[in-house]
Amino acid sequence: MYSEKVIEHFSNPKNAGVIENADGIGEVGNPVCGDMMAFYIKVKNDKLADVKFKTFGCVAAIAVSSIVSEMAKGKTLKEAKSITKKAAAEALDGLPREKMHCSNLGAKALAEAIKDYEEKKYGKPKSATPQKKRKKPKRHITCSHCDAQNPITANFCMSCGKELNA
Amino acid sequence: MKFVENQPSDDTLDLVCRMCPLHLLEPGDKLKCLKKGQILEVLTDYDGALEDIPAWCQKCGQEFIGMEEDEDCYKLYIRKNN
Amino acid sequence: MRRVYMDHAAATPVRREVIEAMLPYFDEHFGNPSTIYDMGSKIKQVIEEQRVKVAKLIGAKAEEIIFTSSGAEANNLAIKGSALAKQKKGNHIIISAIEHHSVLNSARFLERMDFEVTFLSVDEYGLVDPERLASAMRPETIIVSIMHANNEIGTIEPITELSAICREREVSFHTDAVATVGNIPVDVNGLGVDLLSLSGVSLGAPKGIGALYFRDNLRLMPLIHGGIQERGRRGGTENVPAIVGLGRAAEIAVKELPDKTNHIGELRDLLVAGIHERIEQVKYTGHPDKRLPGHASFCIQAIEGEALLFMLNQEGIYANTGSACASKALKTSPVLVAIGIPPDLAQGSIVFTLNSSNTREEVEYVLEKLPFAVERLRSFSPIWGKKTAA
Repeated sequence: MYSEKVIEHFSNPKNAGVIENADGIGEVGNPVCGDMMAFYIKVKNDKLADVKFKTFGCVAAIAVSSIVSEMAKGKTLKEAKSITKKAAAEALDGLPREKMHCSNLGAKALAEAIKDYEEKKYGKPKSATPQKKRKKPKRHITCSHCDAQNPITANFCMSCGKELNA
Repeated sequence: MKFVENQPSDDTLDLVCRMCPLHLLEPGDKLKCLKKGQILEVLTDYDGALEDIPAWCQKCGQEFIGMEEDEDCYKLYIRKNN
Repeated sequence: MRRVYMDHAAATPVRREVIEAMLPYFDEHFGNPSTIYDMGSKIKQVIEEQRVKVAKLIGAKAEEIIFTSSGAEANNLAIKGSALAKQKKGNHIIISAIEHHSVLNSARFLERMDFEVTFLSVDEYGLVDPERLASAMRPETIIVSIMHANNEIGTIEPITELSAICREREVSFHTDAVATVGNIPVDVNGLGVDLLSLSGVSLGAPKGIGALYFRDNLRLMPLIHGGIQERGRRGGTENVPAIVGLGRAAEIAVKELPDKTNHIGELRDLLVAGIHERIEQVKYTGHPDKRLPGHASFCIQAIEGEALLFMLNQEGIYANTGSACASKALKTSPVLVAIGIPPDLAQGSIVFTLNSSNTREEVEYVLEKLPFAVERLRSFSPIWGKKTAA
C-alpha cells in the first residue's frame, strides 16, 4: 500500500516537535476528521531556519508532515510557499489515491504557518478601496480536502465524502 | 384440472419459494413416509407445478386428487397408491 | 521477525486436520454431487455428513442447514430471502444500527424495493434494549435481525429476550452469529432464533464457506437460482472441499469449545489489565462482561488507529482498527459512532481478537510494545495532553 519512503518517514519522521516562540504557526484539519497538522516555523533573513510539526493522523499524514518539513527547511519563504501537495506526494514516491488529501493538508499547514508569520510581521493585508466588483456566480464548490469540484448544492464531497465548507 | 375445496390431508409439504425441479423431487421423498391411501398436500407458488405434478403422478402411479388456489400459493393433493 | 497475530476475527489459520480432510476432494473424490453415477452420489453422501456436523455445532437438525459461500451470503439470504417470501404479509424490517455491512446493505437494498427499515439504536455498550425492539414492532413487521455479537466492540446481545418478543408476534428473527459460533456455545433452540448465519472463517475452516440455519421449513426466496443443490434453496455446484473443511472444523469446535473459551478469556483479561496499567487515557469499548471471550477493543486518546497498527506491524504484531483512515472509505466506524464515542477518540480505535493459538508470552510481548508505540505517536500528536478520554 505504501512506498518505502512513506514507511521510512513514518517510522523516523524528521522534525517532529514544537518550536517555542515560533515565528509562525499553521494548524489545519481537525481530529474529528482523522487528520490534524500543526506546523511551527522560525524565520531568519527571509528563510525558514527551522520547521517543526505535530501531527495527529495516519501513516500518510505523518510521512507527509515529515517530508514537507524537510523540503521547506532552509528554503526562502517564496520557495516554501510554492511547495505543492503534488511535490510532497512525489517526494514520497507517491501516495495511495485515498491518501492524497494528506499531502494537501501538509502543503496547506506549511502555507498557513508562513501566512501567520507574514501577518504577524506586516499586519493583515489592507483591503483595497472598495470597488463594486460583480460577483461571478459560483458554479462549483471545491473540496478543501481533496480539491474535487462539487455541485453548489452538495454538503459532502462526492469524491472523498468529507463535509464541504459552506 | 380438477378443483377441490377443503380437502383433508395427512401431511403437508411446503414448497413455496422452492425452485424447479424440487416440486418433482420432494413429493416423492415425502410420500415414502406416508402409508398407502394417505393424502399429501403440496404447497407451491410455481405455475409449472400445475402441469408437472399431475403428469408426475400419472407416471409414478400416484393419484392426483385436485388443487385449490390459496392466498399466496396453490395447494395440490396427492393420494399415495404405491 | 516473530509474528504475534491477534486479528482472528478477520481471518484465522486453517487447521492442519481440516486441510487434510479437504485434500482428497480436490483430485481423488472430485465428482459432481448432482450426477447420477456412484462417484456423484458418494460425494452427495459426504456433503450430507458435513451438514450433520455443522447442525450439531449449533443444536439444529441437518435439514435446517444451507451451505453458502460465506457469512455475508448467509446474511443476504436470511434478510432478503425471508423478506421477499413474506412480503404479502408485511413490509417492515428491523435491524440494529451496528449490524455487519452484509445485513445493513441487504436492508437498504430492500428499502429501495418499498420495504421499510427501522435501524434500532444501541446503548453505550452496543446493547439493544428489548423494550426498544418491542416498541419498534408494527403489525407489518416481518423480520428482525440483531447480531449475536459485534466483532468491533465484542458485545454479546440478549438474543433470547429479543427473539421471544418476535416469537410472540410471529415475526421471523435472524441473528448473524459469525462472531460467536466457535467462540461461545451457540444453540438455536436456546437462543430461540428462526435464522442464524455462520462463517467458516471464524471456525478455522477455509474462506469462501458459510452456512445459514433456518428453522423448520421456513420459507426463503432463493437468491441464487440454479438446480437441485441445497434442495432448491441455493443453486450452484457445491464447493465440496470447503464444505468438508467446514464440517471437520465444526467437529473440532464442538470438542474444543470449553477449553478454548477459558483459555482466550484468561489471555484477554491479562491483555486488558496490562493495557490499563501501562497506558493512560484509554477507553475499553463494548460491554465489560457480556462480550466475546477473546475480544479486547479500545479507543486510545490522541492517536490514530492506522498509524498505531503500522507501528505494531513493524514489531510483528497484527491487530485491527475502526479508525477513519484505516477504513478505505475514510469514514469513522459507524459502530463506534452508534455507541457514542466522540469522533476524535474513535480515531484511536484498536481491536485485538485472540484464539487458542495465542499464548501468555504473546500477550506479554504486546504489552511491551504497545505502550511504546502509543507514547511515540502521542509525542507527535498536537492534541495529546489537551483532552481527556470519554
